Parts: sequence; structure tokens; C-alpha cells
Amino acid sequence: MTLASSYSTAPATNWLTALRVPPSVALSLAIIVLAIAWSLAPGLFTSHDPVNGVPAHKLLGPSLQYWFGTDHLGRDLYTRVVYGTASSVSSAMIAVLIGVIAGGFIGLLAGFLGGWVDTVLARLVDVLLAIPKFLLAVIVVTAIGFDTTNAAIATGVSAVAVFARVMRSEVIKTRQATFVEASFLLGGSRWHILWRHVLPNASRSVLPLAVLHFGDSILVIASLAFLGYGDPPPASDWGLLISIGKDYLKWPWLVYAPAFVTIATVLSVNRISRWLRKTD
Amino acid sequence: MNSAYRTYAAKRLVQAVVVILLAYVFTFVVVSILPGDPITNVLRNPQNGFTEDQIREIIAAQGLDRPVLVQLWSSFSSFLVGDLGLSMRSHRPVATLIAEVLPSTLILAFAGLVVALLLAVVIAYGTRFLPKRFGQGLLRGFPSLFLSVPNFVIGLVLIHLFGFQLGVFRVIEPDSFWATLFAAIALGIPISAQIAEVLIANLDHEAGQEYAAVARSRGLGKARLFAKHLLKPSSLPVVTVIALTIGELLGGSLITETVFGRTGIGSLVQRSVSTQDLPVLQAVVSLAAVVFVVVNLIADLTYPLLDPRVKLLGTPERRPATADEGSSTISQAVTS
Repeated sequence: MTLASSYSTAPATNWLTALRVPPSVALSLAIIVLAIAWSLAPGLFTSHDPVNGVPAHKLLGPSLQYWFGTDHLGRDLYTRVVYGTASSVSSAMIAVLIGVIAGGFIGLLAGFLGGWVDTVLARLVDVLLAIPKFLLAVIVVTAIGFDTTNAAIATGVSAVAVFARVMRSEVIKTRQATFVEASFLLGGSRWHILWRHVLPNASRSVLPLAVLHFGDSILVIASLAFLGYGDPPPASDWGLLISIGKDYLKWPWLVYAPAFVTIATVLSVNRISRWLRKTD
Repeated sequence: MNSAYRTYAAKRLVQAVVVILLAYVFTFVVVSILPGDPITNVLRNPQNGFTEDQIREIIAAQGLDRPVLVQLWSSFSSFLVGDLGLSMRSHRPVATLIAEVLPSTLILAFAGLVVALLLAVVIAYGTRFLPKRFGQGLLRGFPSLFLSVPNFVIGLVLIHLFGFQLGVFRVIEPDSFWATLFAAIALGIPISAQIAEVLIANLDHEAGQEYAAVARSRGLGKARLFAKHLLKPSSLPVVTVIALTIGELLGGSLITETVFGRTGIGSLVQRSVSTQDLPVLQAVVSLAAVVFVVVNLIADLTYPLLDPRVKLLGTPERRPATADEGSSTISQAVTS
């Protein structure tokens, strides 16, 4: 009897400990879920109009009716933040995807093939690393044109080098593992080993880095929007909202409210990334 | 100064030169081959009011009617001899434009680095020696928090609190001492986070070593232990991290200068971006790459001299435990 019960509870407790998340991580997850909900269905969270305001209600402080106050055109700031989430968050997603896919591919090739391919790609990565990340994003967005999607692409390009480096070192680590050697001896082809063994194992440490870069990308894209390299108003990217708010510092909530949302989101993303790395 | 070191130094030197040259080519490719034709965008922009004759003249003067490869070669060869070309907007030498604004950015970047270092040491000291109930855990969260705040927000908050509310400095005098100090704080805070993370990780590592236990058992106080024993070995890897943050100092000054209304490289870049003044952008980016590569070269070359334990096996073999949290980018860059 005891044997049976201990047998049946063992997997359950494992499952529980696996899912037991610290409160700060739970809070972070909740914030991210909220941000995703805002970006998917902004209309569910607010009844105001993000573009047309009530001129009589301009520059009001935060209240029950206007949670984050109103801007110089009488628009509800909370509504603008909610509607700006989609482009602020999804563009960061695009940036991370570009970084992971392009950087991962470069790192995979360099690490797996080695030799002159590695040397050439390593120099390319060195070049990308030598140009300050933000400056790189700025010139790329200058070259391809100012809008939020291009800002996301530029941010992604500036992240390629980091992913390439991590992927390369992980691939090299995995390639020397015994099971990879075994697979070679069993007659596995290079590509089979690459896809079946090296890639899945190497990408494990790329995940927390991707999450970390998701937060970083939100910041870079917000900075580009702040400088006016994203979509022009009436778009309401968080960086753009803060940039508009800086001209109205007498009504500080115009800066503090969108800034608070940005910080809360990025902080949550970073917390989750750190947690992922620890549980790995 | 043995032969292994000389080989290593020579190898790194060649590598650095190659990277600088490639960075120039890369920037050229980005700004001139990507879709969108910035040249005609600027020249034919009605706001600029160039006549057709003037446009032709400018295109001929800049050699923009030649094939891209020829353009690349001519601008590349003039870059090699230190000629950065002419600005498309003002027709003044790019080198002059940069020289005019460089001092302001250098002051800001240096002050930002000093702020970052001070802050990082204070945070790291606090995490080791502040009693648990006085927020040691909170301090450990600081780097993560600093990395989550956009630096323009830090700048705006400082301007709002100290400029408008407390009146410590006046926003219309961006080059005054106090305005510069607060700009440096805004620039330094995110950078301090990266340094602090590495410093904390190394302090934790060093404090676990036997020599630290011996020092403690001899009755050494916490402050003396920190200053006399732990700080030096922990700060060696920080040299590498500082070198890596140079790029961020430059990139961050772009935003900080905008927020604080300073005239510097950042505002020059911003102006050149909005007018699509490619020669200026090309020059600034290449110079940034030169600075980054040179600083990192110096760091890499002095590192084995500072820390004799570092073995030179072609590439330098770095010490473990550079960082565990939140800075995998750094630790990767340091270890790989």
C-alpha cells in the first residue's frame, strides 16, 4: 500500500515543483498576459477612443474616469497606452524573431561547420558587435524608412550578433557531446545530426536569451519611437507617447503613465527570463 | 612579455584592423544599397529647394553617378587616409562637423562612465555587506530594474524632478555643470547595471574563496575585506565589461543628448538622420566602430598583463564566473 502510494505521488510532486513559480514570477506572467490581451483586443479594456478626444477634457489628471489622465487633445491616455501595446509588443516580437532566426542560423553554421566558414562568420559577427547596437538600429531604420515595422527590423538586425555568438558556443559545446559522437558512429548524416541532436540541445540556452532580448527590444523600439523613427502620431507606441509627453512636463502623468507601463512590462520580461535560466 | 603574448597581441591587432575596415564596408552597404533612395530623397525634397542644376552639381561633386562599387572604393580609400568626405547637407568636411561636437559628447560619455562605475561599486558593496533586513535583496534587484528603464525616461524624470520641481538646473542651459551631471546620471544608470551584475557575481565568487575565509578569521572587518581583498580580483573582469559598454555609452548619448538638448555626436546623428546626410552617418558609425574596437583591443591586451593567471592559448582563456544573472550577453561576449 505504502509502496503504491509513494509510487503514485512521486510524479505528482515533481509536476508540482516544476510548476511552482515564485510570486514575483507569477506577477510578471500576469503582467505579460495583460499586455498580450491589450494588444490582441484593446477594445475590451477601454471604452474611450484612442484617436479622437474630448477637447473640453484636455490635460486632466488621473481620475476614475481617465485612469492615466488625458493628453493635450483630451484623449484618454490609458486608452492610448492600451491601443499602443499591439505595435510596441508585436514589433519587439518581430525583432526577437529576426535576431533568433538570423543569428541562430549564423551561429549554427559557424559552430557546426567550423573551418573557414567559422572564421568568415566570426568576423561578420565582430563587425556587427563593433557598431554600437543603438547606432546600428538607427542607420538601418534610416536606410529602410521610418515606421514601426522597420524599427523592429532594425532592432532585430542589431541583435543578430549576440544570438549568433551564443548559438555558436552552444553548438560547439553540443557537438563534442558523447551522444553526438555516437550518432556519427551509427552512421547519422551531418544534417540529421544537426537537426535531430545539435539544434534542439543548443537552442535550450537561446530561449532565456530570446526572452531577455524581447524586453530589450521593447526598450530599443521605444527609443526609436521616442526619437521619431517609428509610426507618426496618431499612432500611440509607448515611446512615442513618452516623447509627446515630454513637451508637457507640467502634466507629468503624460510621461509617467506610459513610462510606468513600459518599465513594468520590461521588468516582467526580464524576471521571467531570469527564472527560465534558473529552472533550466 | 613573452613570445606567446607577442603572437597573441599581433593576432588581435590584425583582427582589430580587419574588423574596422569591414565595419566601414558594412555601413556603406547598409546606407547605400538598401531599398529607398536617400540621395534623391534629400536632393529632390522640395523643402531643400535645390534646382536641377544644383542637384547635378552635388551628384557630380559627391560622385554619386558612379557605380556603387567605384563609390565604395573611393570613399573607402579616402577613409584609409583619414578623409571622411563632405556633408551632403552643409557641404562642409565631415571631420570638421564631428570635431565641433566631439568634446561635448566625450565629456558626457566620460562623466556617464564615472557615474556608472561609482554606482556599480556602491551597489555591489551594498549587496555584500548590507544586513539582509536592510534591503540586501532589494539591492540585488537594482541592476535588473536599471536595465528595464528606458534611459530617456530616466532623463525625463531627472529633468522633471530636479529641473522643474527642485530647480537644481535650468533646462535651457544644457552645458551647465548640473545639467551635465544629471545627463551623465541618466546615461550612466543603465550602464552601471551591467557593470554591477558582473561585479556582484565576482564578489560572490571571491568571497567564497579560502583566502577570504582566512582574512575573515583573522578578524578583518567587512569594509576592509571588501576594499583590500575582494575588490581588486573582482574588478579585473570588469575591465572587459567596461570596454564592451563603450558602444552603449555612444548609443546612449544619442538619446541622452536629445532629451537634455545638448549639442553633440548624438544630435549630429539625429540631424543627419532626418536629412539623410549619409556621409556624416557613415563617418560617425565608422568612428564609433573604431573607438569600440580600439578600446576592446586595449582591454584584451592589458588583461593578461593585469592577471597573470590568464593563459594565452591563441585566444585568451578567461576566468570563470563572470556573471550569472541577467547579463548572458556580456558573459557570452567575455567568455567566447
